[in-house]
Amino acid sequence: MELDDLKQTWNQNQSTKPLNTDIMELIQHKSYGPLAALKKAFRKQIVLMAIIPAYFIMLNVDDLHALSNNVILWSYIAFCLGVIIFSYYNYRLVNKMEGMDNMVKVNLEQQVNLLERSMKWKKTGLMAALLFFILLIEIVPYFQHYRMLDKWHSVPAAIRYVVYAALFVLQYFANTWVNERRYGRHLKYLKELVKEMQ
Amino acid sequence: MLYKVCRVYAYSDADRQDLFQEIVIQLWKAYPKFKGDSKISTWLYRVALNTAISGLRKKKNLVTSFEPTSIPEPAGVCHQEHSEEERFQQMYQAIEQLNAVEKAIVMLYMEDRTYLEMEEILGLSQGNLRVKMNRIKEKLRQLTKNY
Repeated sequence: MELDDLKQTWNQNQSTKPLNTDIMELIQHKSYGPLAALKKAFRKQIVLMAIIPAYFIMLNVDDLHALSNNVILWSYIAFCLGVIIFSYYNYRLVNKMEGMDNMVKVNLEQQVNLLERSMKWKKTGLMAALLFFILLIEIVPYFQHYRMLDKWHSVPAAIRYVVYAALFVLQYFANTWVNERRYGRHLKYLKELVKEMQ
Repeated sequence: MLYKVCRVYAYSDADRQDLFQEIVIQLWKAYPKFKGDSKISTWLYRVALNTAISGLRKKKNLVTSFEPTSIPEPAGVCHQEHSEEERFQQMYQAIEQLNAVEKAIVMLYMEDRTYLEMEEILGLSQGNLRVKMNRIKEKLRQLTKNY
């Protein structure tokens, strides 16, 4: 049996159940694909990262002097701002990925490129955030006293550094695992298609 | 045309409806950016195929390719008795086993698109498309050789 033999039947065949073609109804629905889910996740992250520091500020609003000198809180706010910027950057990347009117090959290459870039940025961002907090934990007790940090500083330096190193290793593997679970299969699938199109 | 994309990339009525809906949403979103640089049909195919191929759908429905296996022949059916419809269904089953890119090429070929149009839609050179088309035909021949 040849493919060409079936061309005529192909153009006549309508044996499947008719689809709902009410365009006005269809466009009322939200897109539910993985990209739409990613966008939603980034939107949530932005809102959450704006709400949490605002909540802490509200809690301490009675004591403005203590609030303005709280290095940990301001560092946390800086961290949240970083996450907001990162999430917004990713949100824009996903927006670009949603452009579906390119040639198929171009679109697939673009998606692979953007996904890889996003994963690389996430990896770097998380490493930078961890480094930032470690530096903070190590430096802040020289300027301000927090019971928890003082306690932590009473632990020998060698043990603290081993814990920090372990945290870096743990974060690296956790991040790789999460990326693999979230995007790995999809990225692999897209890469296979790009390879197929070479 | 959209029906056919859905038919090739989704295997149940519910999946076909989902994909159709997703394609319509993407067309709706992309239309304001359509500048008329290409034919409207080329643009429609691009959006529809990109949506179907890129897995811009529910995770469970992500389009995957299958390892080619030959299509089992229904028991007790003689070769001569296969109707056009049965042969057509067998061909569809064979097409289901192709990967997403091969499906797109088959679909455009069956829709009588020229290689130039296919190039504009898929972004593959005409030479590459011809080579791929020959390989796909051979693959389908192998998959449906019992018929």
